Amino acid sequence: MNSWLRSLLKPHNIPCQSNSKVISVFHHPYTTQVNKIFEDGDEGKPNVASKDSRRIYVFGLAEHGALGHTTKVGNERRRQVPRKCFKYPTRLHFGHYYQIKDIACGYGFTLVATKHKDPNLRLFGCGINSDSQIGYHDLRKKGSPLELIMSLVRIPLPFKHPNTQIIRIAAGRAHTIVLTDQEGAFTFGNNSFGQCGRGIVEGEEYHKKWYCHRIGKLDGEEIVDVVCGQDHSLFLTASGSVYSSGWSADGQTGLGHFNNQDTPSRVKGDVEGENIVRLSCAVDCVLAVNDKGDVFGWGNSEYGQISDREMQISVPRILSQCVDKGRIVDVASGGSACIMLNEEGSVYSWGYGILGQGPKVSRNLTPTLIPSTLFGKHQFNPDSRVTSLTSGVSGFGAVTNQGALYMWGKNNFAQLGLGNQTDQYFPLKVSVGADVHKVCCGVDHTVVLSRHFVT
Amino acid sequence: MELTLCIIKPHVVTAPHTLKAIKDIIILNNFHIVDSLITAMTKDQVEVFYNEHKGKFFYNRLVTQMRSGPSEINILAREDAIRKWRELLGPTKVYTSRFSHPDTIRGMYGISDTRNAAHGSDSPESAAREISIFFPHFSITKWLRDNELISPVPGRNARANR
Repeated sequence: MNSWLRSLLKPHNIPCQSNSKVISVFHHPYTTQVNKIFEDGDEGKPNVASKDSRRIYVFGLAEHGALGHTTKVGNERRRQVPRKCFKYPTRLHFGHYYQIKDIACGYGFTLVATKHKDPNLRLFGCGINSDSQIGYHDLRKKGSPLELIMSLVRIPLPFKHPNTQIIRIAAGRAHTIVLTDQEGAFTFGNNSFGQCGRGIVEGEEYHKKWYCHRIGKLDGEEIVDVVCGQDHSLFLTASGSVYSSGWSADGQTGLGHFNNQDTPSRVKGDVEGENIVRLSCAVDCVLAVNDKGDVFGWGNSEYGQISDREMQISVPRILSQCVDKGRIVDVASGGSACIMLNEEGSVYSWGYGILGQGPKVSRNLTPTLIPSTLFGKHQFNPDSRVTSLTSGVSGFGAVTNQGALYMWGKNNFAQLGLGNQTDQYFPLKVSVGADVHKVCCGVDHTVVLSRHFVT
Repeated sequence: MELTLCIIKPHVVTAPHTLKAIKDIIILNNFHIVDSLITAMTKDQVEVFYNEHKGKFFYNRLVTQMRSGPSEINILAREDAIRKWRELLGPTKVYTSRFSHPDTIRGMYGISDTRNAAHGSDSPESAAREISIFFPHFSITKWLRDNELISPVPGRNARANR
């Protein structure tokens, strides 16, 4: 931290909590111009990323600014208004100047983690900031604090060591978790259910105060992955055990109770003792996969995702309906439907909603195969295989080994990027002009991390 | 003229674009906003408010969700207000109303079955009961008696308010 930044350090009045280490984050000048951010490279020149550069494509609802990109529509005589939706994948030039490490989408906000030698330029965010979920907050001289941030702004984190790099980020409805390689996880944003892993303060205002909470190690183990539901958080440690905190009214923390959980605790039930490798959660239903390929689930089950009899499951259980479908390598759980992927590349879906299996909304309790032809596997292209899955609230995405992105589900804000706003009842390829690596679905927008074809 | 209680839930109040869209729907459908209050509900208020759901499996999550932050509580007035507001809201379950009623408030802006954007009273009796919880000094009969004479045409005032 240089002297200029040190001079801007202004500690806040923080409500003190026992056994909770709260770190204040300093103010920094507000920059509206994207250009100014890009000028922070060497000798004032843009820090253009090398061959390893990745591209970001965004699409979906643009009203809240989570796409980091706005254009005006309307002719000159009429009043120009910002475009409401981006129906096709639109490239963000941000990826041109920074090496992107990870992306995350919450409810109306987006986060981008970068690899940069300056510790203050390692996390960027845009979108809704009414609960300080972007961490960026600046009281201007006149007017109210910013609730919507329309372009990517940097989020300085209180790193102790300047070499600490971000490895994963995750975002919920109004909170953010940033996982680093040396210093554990940083959480900020709304904590009304304890989803930030710190003590709940009654009547706390999240808009005007902001600070980070650091979660170092959980029972002496390092955190290797973080996943956020809408109002709860899940932490995966190096040995494969799961910890959770936050809202538990549907049992989504998997701790055997239905109360708010303010400190991350070890998830019990069938998950205990297993080596979990993959966690997935979009709203309130959680799915997990262990190294042997078994699927576990807990949380909301009103639409038969986990059990067809019980509505709320607070103790994780192994899913009997997924047993004879081969070794499962990836899962994705949406709000009312779930999908899973086995090692042969077959995708199965079950639950309620658009399951990708036909021209109607259906309810299915047993996992049913989505034909692999729909994911681009045919006799001229026999090697195409799905490698990873993601889920939004009622939309799904699948990425193949050839870098193609297929999406299906609810499309009322064009969050599938297919060029229209009608629901998509089977997987359809999205025209992203690059090799897709990762796709992240928010509630009404989507961000795609990709690499250009020619390196 | 009829009165109904509309509660915009905490997850919408913190999302400015959704809050604006829902308020636009209220105004465009000729509702008068008689009284408005932005407050975080107390435990007693929520328990009295959701007394009818006590014992159901979703009672706990309703209470904890409503207490998670400030909500916006409005008294709306219009001819046939209770039925019209519930029609605009759509069915309670968001995941099903997304497909069956995609143009309603819950179908568009709800996130999950609990985070279903807004609440509306279901009958004149429950409207009176719910208004008295949050606006203890507000008298429905007095308001109706005073206002039937002044503004018989709904919509004129709504336009003036904008």
